[in-house]
Amino acid sequence: MTAAAPAVASALPTRWAKIIDHTRCIGCHACSTACKSENEVPLSVNRTYVKYVDIGTFPHTRRAFQVTRCNQCDDAPCVPACPTAAMFVRPDGIVDFDKSRCIGCKACIAACPYDAIFINPNDHSAEKCNFCAHRLDTGLEPACVVVCPTQAILVGDLNDGTSEVSRIVHRDAVTVRRPEKETRPKLFYKGAHQATLDPIAARRPAGGLFMWSEQRSGARAVVSGHPFTPANSSAAALLAYDVPHSMPWDWRVSLYTWTKGIAVGAYLVPLLLVLANLMPPDHALWVWVAPLLGGAFLGLTGLLLVWDLEHPARFLYIFTKAQHRSWLVRGAYIITAYAAVLAGHVAGSVFDMAAVHRALMGPGLVAGLLAAVYTAYLFAQARARDLWQSPLLPPHLAVQAILAGAAALTPVAVVIAPGAVDTLLWVVAASGGAHLLFVGGETTTGHPTAHARVAVAEMTRGRYRWFFRTGVTLVAIGVGAPWFGAGAAVVALIGLLAHEHAYVQAGQSVPLA
Amino acid sequence: MNVHEMNRRVRAARDEVERRGETFYPGPSRIHLAAFPPKERWDSWVELDSASWPERRERRYTLVPTTCFNCESACGLLAYVDADTKRVRKFEGNPEHPGSRGRNCAKGPATLNQITDPDRILFPLKRVGARGEGRWSQVGWDEALDDIAGRIRRALQEGRHNEIMYHVGRPGEDGFTERILAAWGVDGHNSHTNVCSSSGRAGYQYWMGLDRPSPDFANADVILLISAHLETGHYFNPHAQRILEARQRGAKLIVFDTRLSNTATHADHWLPSIPGSEPAVLLAIANHLIRNGAHNRDFIRRWWNWEEYLAVVHPDVERTFEQFDAILQSLYAEYTFAFAARESGVDEVTIAAAAAAVASAGTRLATHTWRSAAAGNEGGWQVARTLFLLNALLGAVATPGGTHPNAWNKFVPRPIHTPPHPKRWNELTWPQEFPLAMNELSFLLPHFLRERRGKLDVYFTRVYNPVWTNPDGFSWIEMLTDPQQVALHVALTPTWNETAYFADYVLPMGHSSERHDLHSYETHDAQWIGFRQPVLRAARERDGVPVTDTREVNPGQVWEENEFWIDLTWRIDPDGAMGVRRYVESRRSPGTKLGIDEYYAWAFEHSVPGLPERAAREGLSPLEYMRRYGAFEIRRGVGAVYEEEVPRDDLQDVADGSYGRVYTRAPAVASDNIVPQASPEPDAEGRRPIGVRVDGRVRRGFPTPSGRLEFWSGTLAAWGWSECAIPTYLRSHVHPDHLDADQSVLISTFRLPVHIHTRSGNAKWLDEIAHTNPLWIHPTQASALGVATGDLVRVETEIGHFVLKAWVTEGIRPGVVACSHHMGRWKIHDHGQRQLMNTVRLDHSGSAWGIARLAGPGPFASTDMDTKRIWWTDAGVHQNLTFPVHPDPVSGQHCWHQAVRVRRGAPGDRYGDVFVDTTKSRAVYAQWMAKTRSAREHSPDATRRPFWLLRPLKPGKTYFRLPEAPTHGGTPTA
Repeated sequence: MTAAAPAVASALPTRWAKIIDHTRCIGCHACSTACKSENEVPLSVNRTYVKYVDIGTFPHTRRAFQVTRCNQCDDAPCVPACPTAAMFVRPDGIVDFDKSRCIGCKACIAACPYDAIFINPNDHSAEKCNFCAHRLDTGLEPACVVVCPTQAILVGDLNDGTSEVSRIVHRDAVTVRRPEKETRPKLFYKGAHQATLDPIAARRPAGGLFMWSEQRSGARAVVSGHPFTPANSSAAALLAYDVPHSMPWDWRVSLYTWTKGIAVGAYLVPLLLVLANLMPPDHALWVWVAPLLGGAFLGLTGLLLVWDLEHPARFLYIFTKAQHRSWLVRGAYIITAYAAVLAGHVAGSVFDMAAVHRALMGPGLVAGLLAAVYTAYLFAQARARDLWQSPLLPPHLAVQAILAGAAALTPVAVVIAPGAVDTLLWVVAASGGAHLLFVGGETTTGHPTAHARVAVAEMTRGRYRWFFRTGVTLVAIGVGAPWFGAGAAVVALIGLLAHEHAYVQAGQSVPLA
Repeated sequence: MNVHEMNRRVRAARDEVERRGETFYPGPSRIHLAAFPPKERWDSWVELDSASWPERRERRYTLVPTTCFNCESACGLLAYVDADTKRVRKFEGNPEHPGSRGRNCAKGPATLNQITDPDRILFPLKRVGARGEGRWSQVGWDEALDDIAGRIRRALQEGRHNEIMYHVGRPGEDGFTERILAAWGVDGHNSHTNVCSSSGRAGYQYWMGLDRPSPDFANADVILLISAHLETGHYFNPHAQRILEARQRGAKLIVFDTRLSNTATHADHWLPSIPGSEPAVLLAIANHLIRNGAHNRDFIRRWWNWEEYLAVVHPDVERTFEQFDAILQSLYAEYTFAFAARESGVDEVTIAAAAAAVASAGTRLATHTWRSAAAGNEGGWQVARTLFLLNALLGAVATPGGTHPNAWNKFVPRPIHTPPHPKRWNELTWPQEFPLAMNELSFLLPHFLRERRGKLDVYFTRVYNPVWTNPDGFSWIEMLTDPQQVALHVALTPTWNETAYFADYVLPMGHSSERHDLHSYETHDAQWIGFRQPVLRAARERDGVPVTDTREVNPGQVWEENEFWIDLTWRIDPDGAMGVRRYVESRRSPGTKLGIDEYYAWAFEHSVPGLPERAAREGLSPLEYMRRYGAFEIRRGVGAVYEEEVPRDDLQDVADGSYGRVYTRAPAVASDNIVPQASPEPDAEGRRPIGVRVDGRVRRGFPTPSGRLEFWSGTLAAWGWSECAIPTYLRSHVHPDHLDADQSVLISTFRLPVHIHTRSGNAKWLDEIAHTNPLWIHPTQASALGVATGDLVRVETEIGHFVLKAWVTEGIRPGVVACSHHMGRWKIHDHGQRQLMNTVRLDHSGSAWGIARLAGPGPFASTDMDTKRIWWTDAGVHQNLTFPVHPDPVSGQHCWHQAVRVRRGAPGDRYGDVFVDTTKSRAVYAQWMAKTRSAREHSPDATRRPFWLLRPLKPGKTYFRLPEAPTHGGTPTA
């Protein structure tokens, strides 16, 4: 028997919620260390911490605090994004996690609009605030609630009209972070300032410093505060303290989008050329190169995906513990189906059965297209990342696959089928042009959200500008491939990789907390 | 919402728990969840393991209370001792603690880091090679104790008592070690207080004979804080709890802080005053109260020593209250809002609004100052004096919601042995130049030793780090490395510090959960005691395994001070022939050493009213009760002790002194509570002061010479300071008039919520949050210098400079710069706190000293996996080294604020550079010594010091007499 107190029966099921009362918070960080202690959270990561923003000009200055942590969303983006249901919602509304199921794909982190989830560097699994569920279940308040000197953190049942939490939620002026993300947070702030609630309302300090700590640097580091000039308020606001954040997906994911593009395009380009009668069905590029090159890059893609997992040995959980709303799971099925098509195609080549090739063209077209575009849905499931919420991303990825495929086939064709080179160069030119059109649209039209605009700015003139500019330039050279020759196709392929990296990283570079 | 229903629900949950015979600790959420396990189950508590979650793995714990050992607040902790591993899994708050009430600041949970710190010192170490060379050999406790005890014994036998000195940081205990020194018969107590709170204390002491405020924040209508007390400073956790309670009731908060602090953020009225101008603003508020008749005339008439003031200062006017009130009207007339605005830089409207708020408070004005402005400025003791003037004007003294004196909200139980007052006077700590010093002139020690005023044979530094903390640290290194000045330096510390590098012995002492201490602090209007104990010892005893030496349960050979001092004292006088041993002897079995259990059991059984009865109700002995619950509240709502009528029995052969002071021949009954208080002198016939006659009745009054609140201090007047005997405004050494056009004021003392001086650098969770101290500078000043955040700036003081990064912020007044305390820790060798110390090179040539930063913190492999995750590379810059000594001529407090020149980093300047010329230190020392008014010239009665004033380890009265000729002299060494 561990209960400190009996559960009190209530008509409705419990729906746990918390209040952070910033009219009481003194910014002392007791909650931060009590949580580290209770949940054995390692250095470099945090389940909860207190952000400081200094607002105003002397002497009309104030410091706003934000106790920053998981929002316990009713519609938690991390849950559908998790391929193995390691992130799950309990009947009482707590978004909890099970580390024994976690494969470390970081899709939950990419999805969370609050940057509340992290990989524990000791056990390599995703974790976050879970309202101290292990304490609630034994009749104890969470550690942060108990320690707080000024009782600024309260826990209670939203379905219990008599709880203090319920009273405050329904009677006081409470706010939630980033309501536009439509996650229905059950963490409510009382007396919070807009300059803290909005992660890019405050300026990021220069010089790698906060008021008493360093800003962490590194390729994956995301430093809080607006990297340029905050545009959503005229009040002066400077981010004075925050903890290090990092983006979930590094260069391996950038590289994956590229290898997968080649894997798909290497098959789809010959397929479309055959269908359009621009290539005979017994052409070596179609019979042999398409499935083998595609298969090789598909294998590479798979390796990259597994390598990117924090628990590579658990990669099969995607199938054995599949959570079917996850686009990682769906993508795995698609890639498997596509791999099957390629395998069938190779079998058809080995046994010289053109009928197999023909029969697989329909399924291959569908599986290939899906394999090309599902990443757009995977990225879109990362609800935190506004840049990736683009309706044009599926066609853009399809175009990129064609470009990648044609460009990758070109050097092979130079060696084994010089006659096809011209055709391929025209495909490179056309798809490269289309790609640049997409990129141009992406970067020159207005985006609907400030976060997307920050991401575009980071991509085009911020921390990823050199990757981006290289990408555009090299692909532009590729557009001239019919005139410059096969070398230009290879240049375009490298340019595409640079672009993928700029796009994938810029999408994650916007401060969320 | 329905409060009634909510309360009913909590009550139902509580009833259910209580039906099981258990305690329900309600939490802030006021639902059925408890904040803590019922105390009835603290012996065996089962909790679910967070790391295995959602698998429900049960873990069994023994819950043992102890007390935090970081700041002075002494908040309760509850250690979760794992029943299987016998290790502490975590620290939570102790719900049975009346001050902290189960809540903690960030340092409470981080105590776990301190006990598991891979860099902590686990064994007694003895120096090998030269002092400061950084080579150590492990030594047995017996060898170290015999060596140290032998030296002390010889010194005592040869009459060299003044060569024994114990120098303490925040004691975190009430008097244990002071009594050990008394047992040795030495006047060897040296505290850190004169670099900390002396000026704050002095201001209160001259008013009421009690030296610390105990504001009843929870019941206040208006709260006035001078400092960032909501988020830093001693007692901030217990105080912030109560301030926020008052705020939720609608109380107004006034904050004086030059810098945007978290506290300033919460203020209804924020006054970012120019450093040192605080008394000007406070007097303007006082003037407003007086002018508008908002002052409490009846209280003033009854409780101020206005009669004495009129008699001495205005002998020509009729001695009536009306006359005094009329004089009061004009005394502060010059302190207009306009004047205050000019001095403080705060606009008149803001000052007027704060004044109006104060005027509305009535007797519910709770005010607080401690270090801050009082510690920063020459004459800073007038900050406390002018602040308390507001309480005294409104009668908000020990009222509900008012400011109480500390001693009435504090309880120090009489211990088993009380050695007598020392029979000597140590001029190294209490020099004649500072007859009114609140505490020892500790930070002048290197200068005094250099002047050959004395030398030290055995010098203990105890959880104290003067090389780093005190001003002029290089002079401390010069002192500590000279064996002619300090023959043996023993550092008692749980963790490496910059002073311990220059020790001969480094003796590891336990952290908060590894030692015994008893303490009581004025956190609110109540009296409580808190008990710090080695939790593994208590846990093992609960299992029925007796422990007689705390080393048995502590890591390595880490000891605790109580047992150490008893053992050392025993070895000084092993046969009892010197009369020293008896103060550490058992009463139960005479001739044997006093054990810790007996020591505390005696105090709990004999000196804590109500504790034996309370313990008996639970079937426990008083000691068992304290081991189980860690704290005991003796009284709540002590109230206005001064108003209490003196019982008839205490009035025998009564004589009335001047102005209503009442003396009695009734013998004093030894009180159970030996809290330090001032001791007004008896009358000419030897009657002791017992009270004061107010409107015909004899009331307790205050422990001042007059028995009343001393608006005018006869003591200050008599000892040469008549011009500031009433609360007044003294222009600080950093007043704008005293600065050159290119100088700024540097505020160097501001603290961060998560650190506490050099005591918390061993807590990784705290270091991760805060690990550097850039220079706060306003954008206008920064752009004039051409620096942005992160750029190097060089800050030049009177004796040197340091180089750090700029933090350009709107949170500071233009013309004032600020650099936080705590940071800039360093190590010169392998030993040290790798997570928050820079590795530096110490350069030295003659009087020129420098520090060059070689490396910052970084990841490393250790017993703690986390040290590989250290991501910060900065540990800040050590600024105190570049500060010369600034002793306030009255209080003796080091005045911390610095007049500095801030320049853009010069070519060749590197981050972390420090340079000092100690010749210049000595020149500045001489300038400030010239401000003093020595007892030799100013004592009215040929004594060294007013006997009535508070003084730690007070010698017998005979030893207050000035010697015939100066006892120190000689010429400074080259």
